[in-house]
Amino acid sequence: MTRSFHLFGRTSLSVGARILLALAMAGLFLAGSAGAQETPRAKALGQKLMCVCGCNQILTACNHVGCQYSHKMLQELDQLVARNDSDDLILQAFVQEYGLTVLAEPPTKGFDWAAWIVPIVVPLIAIFLVWQVVRRWRLRAQLAPAGPGVSPELLARAQHESDKDSDD
Amino acid sequence: MDIFGSFALLLALLAAVYAFVAGIVGIVTRRTVLTKSARNAGIAVFGLVTLAVASLEYFFFTDNFTMAYVAEHSNRALPLFYKFAALWSGQEGSLLFWSWLLSIYAFSALFLNRKKHPELMPYVGVVLAGVQTFFLTLNNFVATPFNVLASANSSGVFHLARVTEGNGLNPLLQYPEMVIHPPMLYLGYTGFTIPFAFALAALLGRYPGEKWIHITRRWTMVAWCFQSIGILLGAHWAYAVLGWGGYWSWDPVENASLLPWITGTAFLHSVMMQEKRGMMKVWNVWLVFTTFMLSILGTLLTRSGVISSVHAFAQSGIGNWFVSFLAIVLAVCFWAWWMNRDYLRSDNQLDSLVSRESSFLFNNLVLLAACFAVLWGTLFPVLSEWFTRSKISVGPPFFNKVNVPIALFLLLLTGVGPLLAWRKTSFDALRRNFAWPLTGGVVAGVIAFIFGFREIYALICLILSVFVTLTIFAEFYRGARVIANRDHTNILSAVGDLTMRNTRRYGGYVVHFGMVLVFIGIAGSAFNKDIQMDMSPGQSLAIGPYTILCQNFDQVANDNYQSERATLEVFRNGHSEMMLYPQRRLYLASQVTETMVAVQSSALRDLYVVYAGRNPDTGKPVIHAYLNPLVKWIWFGGVVVVLGTGLAMLPNRRAAIVLKPVQEKSWGDALPATSPAPARRPESHD
Repeated sequence: MTRSFHLFGRTSLSVGARILLALAMAGLFLAGSAGAQETPRAKALGQKLMCVCGCNQILTACNHVGCQYSHKMLQELDQLVARNDSDDLILQAFVQEYGLTVLAEPPTKGFDWAAWIVPIVVPLIAIFLVWQVVRRWRLRAQLAPAGPGVSPELLARAQHESDKDSDD
Repeated sequence: MDIFGSFALLLALLAAVYAFVAGIVGIVTRRTVLTKSARNAGIAVFGLVTLAVASLEYFFFTDNFTMAYVAEHSNRALPLFYKFAALWSGQEGSLLFWSWLLSIYAFSALFLNRKKHPELMPYVGVVLAGVQTFFLTLNNFVATPFNVLASANSSGVFHLARVTEGNGLNPLLQYPEMVIHPPMLYLGYTGFTIPFAFALAALLGRYPGEKWIHITRRWTMVAWCFQSIGILLGAHWAYAVLGWGGYWSWDPVENASLLPWITGTAFLHSVMMQEKRGMMKVWNVWLVFTTFMLSILGTLLTRSGVISSVHAFAQSGIGNWFVSFLAIVLAVCFWAWWMNRDYLRSDNQLDSLVSRESSFLFNNLVLLAACFAVLWGTLFPVLSEWFTRSKISVGPPFFNKVNVPIALFLLLLTGVGPLLAWRKTSFDALRRNFAWPLTGGVVAGVIAFIFGFREIYALICLILSVFVTLTIFAEFYRGARVIANRDHTNILSAVGDLTMRNTRRYGGYVVHFGMVLVFIGIAGSAFNKDIQMDMSPGQSLAIGPYTILCQNFDQVANDNYQSERATLEVFRNGHSEMMLYPQRRLYLASQVTETMVAVQSSALRDLYVVYAGRNPDTGKPVIHAYLNPLVKWIWFGGVVVVLGTGLAMLPNRRAAIVLKPVQEKSWGDALPATSPAPARRPESHD
């Protein structure tokens, strides 16, 4: 496959070719998300939606060139907001049209509840387990027989030398 | 030359396999000659992979488009330093780059320790050789960068083919930071292999004492530092190139880089428990193992196509290799731990819940909670699809809701932890250490509230940031004051003296301060503003204190790209302040269009302007302007974090022993002739 890449540089092109090229360029430079977010409410709702072009961006942040979705989606959003539909209704309308992937957050029902619950429950279980371990440690420490008498000076020196060694 | 590169890569694999097998045989049969031979083979891998990398770079610099990888990722007009960076722009080259960095680390670890730790190093060599064998297998047989272009003639015979021009480098990568960001990140990812090797080696060899944990900590700091730089450069690249006004979008690949960084951070804290008190040995070993496995998981996510991401390489079957490798690593780690679990028994127990130990424990729990939340959110779309057969998105709002409270709690612990004493902290000490910082934080919060600061998370962040900063400064001041009084020096030189006596501790505080700056910068995002407008020459838009006047639009071209450029004059309070030139570039070789953002950055705010293209309805150019407060604090905080890490890696200043000159003594004196007198008494502040 060979292509001529020096479009505006060294390669000489006919006038017709240049016009065609300019038109193609104009197409390439079309904005992806122009002319939307007319109200703060539309902007806020746009933050709850994902662009479905595959860019993994929030709808209002998608600025991919030639994005086939964001411009249309933002216009739809503005229209629905202008109609004064409720937030839920607007989001539902988007889900109907684009599927669940259009929502920026997992829904709070069915299996997808787990997305919200697990990051809370797992650390709580971890804290509980650590608490149990700590309790057992402290109990064991209390039950441990007292060792032979060691002078406080010797203990202090041992601690000091151990600290020094660790710092090195 | 392609055969040369392939051959070097094949030899490297053979050397790694030999190092692995000979190392194991040497350990089992206790034959030193074999373990030494295995070590030398491990060192040789570095030379061989270097030859392969040099060979591929040579193809890039000579525009050798018979090489499929070069034709795919370069073109003649590509500037030289991007040709160099093209090495890691695709799957095959980046894996080779990974192997090369790993071989540099392995070489350093094996060579620097060739005369040390004779009981430990053979095990380290075997683990490193095992990991290298995996990556070199991929380089040789699964994703080789030395494939040549070939075409079949009518009789089905293949001939070498050559294209006259390459496809060019992905335009997103044609940015100076992209020359530095991936190597830094890869240095972080690959660097975590070394602590992993030392930890696993110590466990397998039941290496006596705690020396291995000191070595592991040092290598973890190196990798952690590179990972931090890589993450920050990546964030800056996203901010400056992607043109959506932000620096972190919780993309799966971004998350993948964050995961090992978080567990590495947890390890760098909990390792102190082991060094000081002989506690949490199992925890530490598993943190090192987990950090390494998360590094591998990160590259699995990037390369397998399991999760969609704008950053990811093309989807491929390589994911199965990584999954298998991860399963093997997990099994080996589990087996090693199970067989040697008595070796990791704690020497001490927790004495009090109000102690440095418990703060480290909490710090680790919170860090792991954050790590789990990020991992969970990243993988949840896949889980959901498995269970419900329908796809969902887990976007930035989810990650922000879950992680912001965790991060703020972590910020609180950053201030609390260093003020607690080892073993037990008395109530008096608590009151003495916390009263002023806490008061300062609350006062700052009240003032901010009075001045209209109403974003709750930003307000909490401000209070905690002031609290943590005051605790850090108080720690420096307390120590420096003692030295200044004793040595009769000024407080600033005493701070320097104090820091150099315990670089690890005070370097750590500098890192904490850097993180505070990063948090403040992130909190600024609560006050972001943006406006988008179709603009013709002569029109203006207003955002915050700025008015942006559109002067004109023109076209700029060179061999590499053609761009449309807006010329904007920025006014502040009626005075012309600067010109901005945001662009939209069409890269000629790849026919991909990208934005070039224009940013005017100050300590208070960034004016960030994107030329978003032309409105398809009106045909008018669209300008999207953002006002992002405090973003510069993030980059500055990042620099402070890196400097602090560097400081913490420096050795402590040793006490100099000065011998007093022999003095003439009278016959009656019965004193020794010389007596060593320490010029400076070593102090331990930990």
